[in-house]
Amino acid sequence: QPQLARVHFRVTRFIMEAGVKLGMQSIPIATACTIYHKFFCEINLEAYDLYLVAMSSIYLAGKVEEQHLRTRDIINVSHRYFNPSSEPLELDSRFWELRDSIVQCELLMLRVLRFQVSFQHPHKYLLHYLISLKNWLNRYSWQRTPISVTAWALLRDSYHGGLCLRFQAQHLAVAVLYLALQVYGVEVPAEGEAQKPWWQVFSDDLTKPIIDNIVSDLIQIYAMDTEIP
Amino acid sequence: MEIPSMDRRELFFRDIERGDIVIGRISSIREFGFFMVLICLGSGIMRDISHLEITALCPLRDVPSHSNHGDPLSYYQTGDIIRAGIKDIDRYHEKLAVSLCSSSLPPHLSGIKLGVITSEELPLYYRRSVELNSNSLESYENIMESSLGFVNPGVVEFLLEKLGIDETNPPSLMRGLQSKNFSEEDFASALRKKQSASWALKCVKIGVDYFKVGRHVDAMNEYNKALEIDKQNVEALVARGALYATKGSLNKAIEDFELALENCPTHRNARKYLCQTLVERGGQLEEEEKFLNAESYYKKALALDETFKEAEEALQKLHKYMQVILYFLLEIECCVN
Repeated sequence: QPQLARVHFRVTRFIMEAGVKLGMQSIPIATACTIYHKFFCEINLEAYDLYLVAMSSIYLAGKVEEQHLRTRDIINVSHRYFNPSSEPLELDSRFWELRDSIVQCELLMLRVLRFQVSFQHPHKYLLHYLISLKNWLNRYSWQRTPISVTAWALLRDSYHGGLCLRFQAQHLAVAVLYLALQVYGVEVPAEGEAQKPWWQVFSDDLTKPIIDNIVSDLIQIYAMDTEIP
Repeated sequence: MEIPSMDRRELFFRDIERGDIVIGRISSIREFGFFMVLICLGSGIMRDISHLEITALCPLRDVPSHSNHGDPLSYYQTGDIIRAGIKDIDRYHEKLAVSLCSSSLPPHLSGIKLGVITSEELPLYYRRSVELNSNSLESYENIMESSLGFVNPGVVEFLLEKLGIDETNPPSLMRGLQSKNFSEEDFASALRKKQSASWALKCVKIGVDYFKVGRHVDAMNEYNKALEIDKQNVEALVARGALYATKGSLNKAIEDFELALENCPTHRNARKYLCQTLVERGGQLEEEEKFLNAESYYKKALALDETFKEAEEALQKLHKYMQVILYFLLEIECCVN
């Protein structure tokens, strides 16, 4: 359902932008998006205010990943997102109501997700793979091409879709690395002469079709970016 | 990846650079130096090369002597594990010359000890590689996941830094998420600051209204509330200072005014009230006959506002008084003598 995917794209974009403005690290932002996606696997879309769910996801993720955020900051950043150049909110009943709704929504989400809000993210795996690959590549090739940064960006961007729920963390990590290398046309040395492809060294049960699936999903996400204003 | 040795050798000789650290075992010792079979690399590109049977020569002149007499080479034995720096590379003929002198290393590695090392000092990645090769049931994934470093909560931050990825300007390939396009004013900290100032101001206004009808305790509460919300709020500081001054706590008033003026040097009222209070305090000190102290207060007030007449007058009056006293003292001294 492309319509649904578009809606979620917009809201996860909000989560990611708000995350940056709140100074969140990549992993807490990933947790927030994962919570958001998981919630709407269980729950009907129409019953809830998507952006409220998003804000609560951010709040919850901050707690889970030990990068605690204040509801005041989440409210401020979100309010400004929807009302650009507006004055900061006053400490009135409306403010307290907004805060209450975030906290209530958080509790609801925890119950829907059966309190399972801690995830194994691809990020840690990706970083280890990058270090290993760095030692295998010629150091000048490595310095010339921003493979690490690109792979990291691809991984971050992947949370606009629900890839985190459909694929294993290690597989996602390898796939974004694969794509980053492809994007820059970098060949892993002696790839042709190897008995085992480099990506299978990192993850035994990974197959080429899985990589292709992930890459095609990623490209679809970027395609959505061009369609949505 | 199970790549043939020939290709790995080729890649090794392509990628190695002068100044890289290598670790190997002495295979034979001659009069002109010793040969060592390379095991792994210790810097730059970290690779296990033990199966490639690469030999390097360490010439006599690159072996530092351990005693004043005798052959430097006598210190070494076949089978010793050696850490050395690459001095010369002949990529075409696949020949390597190494050195045990720290001058062969680049500046950022110069602290690393060259020479004989123990097997405990072999790099961690090499020891893991041996584990991987010796046990066909092991995998990269297993070794990684069971390593202590993997479960360390700080590992992500550490590796991000090692790879040069910056989380404060997070990268993205989406057009809309280029963080350099985000305005600083939309960030949480900027919004919070603006909001705190606005909330604090509201409290100050309420406080001033209380002050005007004489409800000083309530006013003080409001000012303190405001300063709790926004510690350096100028209006709150000035208002509270004025309240302190009214109640007679001149020193506290001066503190508040000075802080306010520090944050906003152009604040007219802060400057005005500060001058007035300094002079008033000076007057109190004069009464207590602490003349030099009083003088410094008057001078301070004048330094802030040279047109402040009251300060000028007070200072002159004090100086005259001090002259008179001095005169009397001299008189008495003359009479005594």
